[in-house]
Amino acid sequence: MARAWRAPVGALLLALAAGALAFRLDSYQAFVLGEVGVTAIIGIGLNVLIGLSGQMSIGHVAFQAVGAYAVALVTSAGPALFWPALVLGTLLAALIGGLLALPAVRLSGPYLAMITIAAAFVIEHAIIAWKGLTGGASGIANVAEMPLPWPFQGGASAQALAVVILGIAAALFAAYAWFRASPTGLALVAVRGSETAAASIGLDPVRLKCLAFALSAGLAGLAGGLFAPLAGFISPETFPLSASILYVLAVMMGGAGATLGPLYGALVVVVLPELLAGLAEYRLLFVGGLLLIVLLIAPDGIAGTLDRGWRRWRRAPACQPPAPPLDLAAFLGHQAAARPGAPALEAAGLGIAFGGLRAVENLSFIAAAGEVTALIGPNGAGKSTALNLLSGFYRADRGSIRLAGRLVADPAARHLARSGLARGFQTVLLFDALSAAENVLVALHGSGERSRGAAERAMQLLRCAGFEGDPTAPAAGLAQRERRQVEIARALALRPRVLLLDEPAAGLTAAERAPLGTLIRSIAAAGVAVVLVEHDLKLVMGLSDHVVVLDQGRVIAQGAPEAVQANPAVRAAYLGAAAAPAVERPPAAASGAETMLNVVGLTAGYGAAAVVRDVSFDVRAGEMLAILGANGAGKSTLLSAIVGLKRPQTGSVELAGATLSGLSAAAIAARGLVLVPEGRQVFPELSVLDNLRLGAFARRAWPEDAELERVFARFPRLRERARQRAGLLSGGEQQMLAIARGLLARPRVLLLDEPSLGLAPQVAERLFADLAQLAAEGLTTVLVDQMASLALAVADRGIVLENGRIVRSGRAAALAADAALAAAYLGGAAPGGGALVL
Amino acid sequence: MLLGASVVSGLAIGAMYGLLALGYHVTWVVSRSVNFAQGSVMMLGAVLAFALTVGVGWPMAAALPVALAGCAAFGVVLERVAVRPFRARGSDSWLMATVAAGMLVENAALFLFGKEPRGMPSALATEPLTLFGVGVLPLQIVILLAGIGLALAFVAATRGTPYGKALLAVVQNPRAAQLMGIDAARVTVFAYALSSALAGLAGILIAPLYSVSADMGFVFGIKGFAAAILGGLENPWGVVLAGLLLGLAEALTTAFAGSAATVMASFGLVILALYLRPHGLFGRAGVRKV
Amino acid sequence: MSRFLPRLAAVAALLALPAAADAAEPIPVGLVAALSGQSAVSGEAITRGLSVAIDEINAAGGVLGRPLVLVRRDDESNPGKGVAAARELIYRDHVAALFGGIDTPVSIALVPLANKEKMPFMGVWAAGTGITRNGASPNFVFRVSAVDALVDQRLLRYAATIAKAQHPGLMLINNPWGESNHKGLDAAAKAAGMSLAGAESFEVGDADMIPQLTRLKGAGADAIILVGNAAPAAVVIRSLDRMGWSVPVISHWGISGGRFPELAGPSAEKVAFVQTYSFFKPTPKGEQVLAALEKAYPAIKGPQDVIAPVGTANAYDAMHLLALAIAKAGSTDGPAIQAALEALPPYDGLIKRYAPAFTATNHDALGADDYIMVHFAGGRIVPVE
Repeated sequence: MARAWRAPVGALLLALAAGALAFRLDSYQAFVLGEVGVTAIIGIGLNVLIGLSGQMSIGHVAFQAVGAYAVALVTSAGPALFWPALVLGTLLAALIGGLLALPAVRLSGPYLAMITIAAAFVIEHAIIAWKGLTGGASGIANVAEMPLPWPFQGGASAQALAVVILGIAAALFAAYAWFRASPTGLALVAVRGSETAAASIGLDPVRLKCLAFALSAGLAGLAGGLFAPLAGFISPETFPLSASILYVLAVMMGGAGATLGPLYGALVVVVLPELLAGLAEYRLLFVGGLLLIVLLIAPDGIAGTLDRGWRRWRRAPACQPPAPPLDLAAFLGHQAAARPGAPALEAAGLGIAFGGLRAVENLSFIAAAGEVTALIGPNGAGKSTALNLLSGFYRADRGSIRLAGRLVADPAARHLARSGLARGFQTVLLFDALSAAENVLVALHGSGERSRGAAERAMQLLRCAGFEGDPTAPAAGLAQRERRQVEIARALALRPRVLLLDEPAAGLTAAERAPLGTLIRSIAAAGVAVVLVEHDLKLVMGLSDHVVVLDQGRVIAQGAPEAVQANPAVRAAYLGAAAAPAVERPPAAASGAETMLNVVGLTAGYGAAAVVRDVSFDVRAGEMLAILGANGAGKSTLLSAIVGLKRPQTGSVELAGATLSGLSAAAIAARGLVLVPEGRQVFPELSVLDNLRLGAFARRAWPEDAELERVFARFPRLRERARQRAGLLSGGEQQMLAIARGLLARPRVLLLDEPSLGLAPQVAERLFADLAQLAAEGLTTVLVDQMASLALAVADRGIVLENGRIVRSGRAAALAADAALAAAYLGGAAPGGGALVL
Repeated sequence: MLLGASVVSGLAIGAMYGLLALGYHVTWVVSRSVNFAQGSVMMLGAVLAFALTVGVGWPMAAALPVALAGCAAFGVVLERVAVRPFRARGSDSWLMATVAAGMLVENAALFLFGKEPRGMPSALATEPLTLFGVGVLPLQIVILLAGIGLALAFVAATRGTPYGKALLAVVQNPRAAQLMGIDAARVTVFAYALSSALAGLAGILIAPLYSVSADMGFVFGIKGFAAAILGGLENPWGVVLAGLLLGLAEALTTAFAGSAATVMASFGLVILALYLRPHGLFGRAGVRKV
Repeated sequence: MSRFLPRLAAVAALLALPAAADAAEPIPVGLVAALSGQSAVSGEAITRGLSVAIDEINAAGGVLGRPLVLVRRDDESNPGKGVAAARELIYRDHVAALFGGIDTPVSIALVPLANKEKMPFMGVWAAGTGITRNGASPNFVFRVSAVDALVDQRLLRYAATIAKAQHPGLMLINNPWGESNHKGLDAAAKAAGMSLAGAESFEVGDADMIPQLTRLKGAGADAIILVGNAAPAAVVIRSLDRMGWSVPVISHWGISGGRFPELAGPSAEKVAFVQTYSFFKPTPKGEQVLAALEKAYPAIKGPQDVIAPVGTANAYDAMHLLALAIAKAGSTDGPAIQAALEALPPYDGLIKRYAPAFTATNHDALGADDYIMVHFAGGRIVPVE
């Protein structure tokens, strides 16, 4: 917490120094100093808005005007009324700000900016029009002087006024630092970071954003109230819209979110022009240029840049004494309440459909306290959808949820979080601007723990989740393993009865998975019902008490791990029906056929970590190659690297003998190497027809009706939906659309990434038959699909990836019979005979 | 008479808002960013045209394309300097960066062009025609036709041509767009160039009705933005329609309630409209499937 | 001959300068005016008038044996900035007196400060009535410029006598200056027994004034009294053209700065407006000042090049009056100068013979009879016959 106090102490010292200085300044310089204080106070308010809650206002000058007019008008009845008037102005501005925020928080980006601009105009012109009260455009010429407090009484000098204003500003800087670390401040940053994750820990984004808006408007009002006696004259022209822009600039230049940012910003926007007075007319040119440069080279502003320098200079952070280990069971306090084995979460007949697709249908299962319940199934089976239903992020069309025996009446994520249901996300959702400890702390606050011990409790929870990194560093910089640990610690902070985890092992190395298993078991042992969605079946089978298997949105089996493993339906769901459509076609890969695609020594990945290592293969004209491998083996990354979406670290790709090195993805597509990406990448706002037409854009053509007709003949569903927006199609339909679009590019080589994903079995089979047909017609194809047996049935050759390397390659028929394939796919040691280990 | 005159002048000014709004729309649908220096670009167009016609003595027919090209070039530079670096970082700072760029242009113009407002001569703005008993300058009709015509052309281009579709595809799914051979970076640059040219055209068209000065764009830029928001940034028809509506509302308020109420009424309308329809009058919520 | 004298004076000044600097510390006088933005031309015009006068005074040995020096600060047409700039001049530069600029709101904001700090404040352009008639006693604010209340009487008198209008309509800019004239015109109309057809306001950014004008026309206006700066005023004129409404337009002097004829088109010449001075009206003093201007500012080749002549002329006379007052007071002390200004001897100025310029009750050196009505003719501002 030393970090939190550094800023206010600095601010106080600065104010004292400035105060001492003020009495040595002439009264003009004191006036400028007072302006710095006023600008800094508005900046602090904007910092709450921009820096903490991530909203933008280009109309804050209007709130300043409200405060200034309130003070000027009330004190005209007597200068003694100054302080009450200041409070009144502050509250009035906060009230108007809060009211304005009601529509504004539903908006974002430019819509929000517009509403604040509009409000500024309306308020300015209301002041002009309400002549009787405000003096109209002429303004109020003789604002009463501020009655100064104790040490300055008798004779209001500009110097004393400046000191008072700077003192208030310093106090507000300290208050900001306190607020930033307070439960509400942390919650604001959390909401800004991820509204989804914020809802998952029970925060209410609308209330928080309104609060931030009101608070920041109130501070602008306060600044206005102080400005009125400083200037001695106010009129609508005193508060031009351009001043609003300048205030925002001050905050951004100073460093949004940083405590002292507004101070630096205020110094720059107020004092710099004074120093440049000699440049007179070049001033604004200079300020504009400076701003652009600061935004470009110092995105964190002055404060951020100083802070980075400070950190580098200070080297390693001081070692904190380790917190005593946490007794998780005692912390959670469930054991007395819920007997192990008692149903904690009961799903009954849950169902949801998107468009036409029934993502989850009639899902019923019970997760018991103290047990680990696993939800497994192939890609697209509806596992994540099920988790989203259970945690209130999707509203079920049918069915009910009971939590600890009680029917959940309002299954909104925020309410469920407060009733003891916590969750993690498939792609870990942390509040990146907060530190690891604060991520946990904000959830602790949400669960009602606001005491002094909360910070230590957060450390304990982190440790309990296995976190060993720097708890004060921003979460954005953490490694994947640490992020997962922080997310679990954050979920535990809610004292959940039920914990839902979505692929917690994703992105972890084999060595990192064992401790995760131990952690999950220990959480269950503390009385929590853990519901786990996971692809690593070895992990799942090792630690689950109960397994629910989903396929096509339906439960196809549930029970003890051993029972599920023995179930033939499960095996079929995983490897696909072995009975692939027998498509007879002449093998095209006759020797001597031209090599269409040649991949040599390709290595690619994210950051330093290579996901694909030294992969080489070639595909001849008219050949179909299947690329197989388990989730995370690097198949999609390989395809991305081939088509230029991801720049390979080493290696090269040649299309029909011409190298593609250095070409953009768009240029590669235009040369006829076309990828149909995984996951229904359609253009949602365009019609189905337009989506199809854009397929031909790669060859800069507009498809003729006859060509579209051929596509529709192949995918009749698309004909029915031709005029609809593509985003409204079901997942399967979108998949068809993506493939059809790829075909319209008339590719020389077509790459397909998981084309069967989300398709009903008969549709998938039909699709593979079509692919076989296309191959027979001479289309060169590379196919990545999890339905290995189907893929191998239509392919000529196959390669198997494991950890980014090719571990096996050969004729499709030979691979299909290879036991190692099942092993590569399902991640277990494969006993002979291809028996599926689950 | 009063009504007729208000409608005519409201529509002409509204068409101008519409042109600017269309400029905001173009960059928004392509890159989810807008150029807050749009008003300054409008001024740039007018200043360039003035310098070329009055200063150098070119005919308008020659000056117009050169001035528009100048604006488009500025748009390209602006995208490169004040938008792309921030979008690449995933930061919203393009908003303030374009504001800063606008400040730069406006103040540079103050030096190069001068502080005094200047009058732009135009043959279309001297002799009024009488239509339905109302005096109308030919230029006002040209502005109205240009606004509506360009909106039509834009809609036709985006609905009917591969390039137009490609423009719309980029923001909806940049990854898939690349795979269709659409160069997202180039499309964004193009959108900024087009948007700036539209703003420049608005400036050149309005200049003879008003005056050319370094600060002429500020208010227009904001009102054009208000029109874009009112119409719903996503909808090219919507933004032009909202521009006409805003111009009309302003003129009618001025006519029947006095100009003191105009700003309050027009921006009050914007707030009310956003309160009732957060995506604008003619906008619609995007397809959202989690 | 008339050109020889000032040149001689200038040469003398050059020679005298080092000596003067040795002799005594300069007396600083301040100017708070718009030096940037749309009204920057006004600040430049005032600066020219002040500088020419200061050069003459210094050439003649300065005041109290000390040369005068001008210190300028930009108010950006913003009252807040103006107050800050004035404070800087008062507290840091210790000026003996302040001159104000074109913007009435800025001057209005400076009035309390001037009276509080006992700082003589000389308005040379802003015409807002309340600037000098501010109720303070003693009042440190003086003006050598038009006064809205008096200008308004003059405008209505012109409307009634020359334009033969009985029912003028008002077109006023929506800012304090417009408000000030609205009051003034109402009062003047009442005093003159005229009835106004109506009052409409417009914004600087309005590109079309037809709605307002149509309402005035509907209300039976037979003349337009126009208060606004050149750019929006030009829109009024062009809107009239478009309406095809030929009506006499009588304007306050806002249109004299800027390039009104260029902005408003041919109809600009029909607009009669008020000035305090025209360099096209040859007088010996006028020739002399013009020559000095031409010498100091090579861009000026004749009276048509004197941008915004009122600012220059008013500032020129105001500077001389102030120098007289300092000499009479025998010190640069504010109250002493104030007292001296209220009791100046008669003085032959550029604009007129001031006999005397100010009294204890009247701090406006120019009255309704000192205004001249002029119009644009071929790029020149010439008196209306």
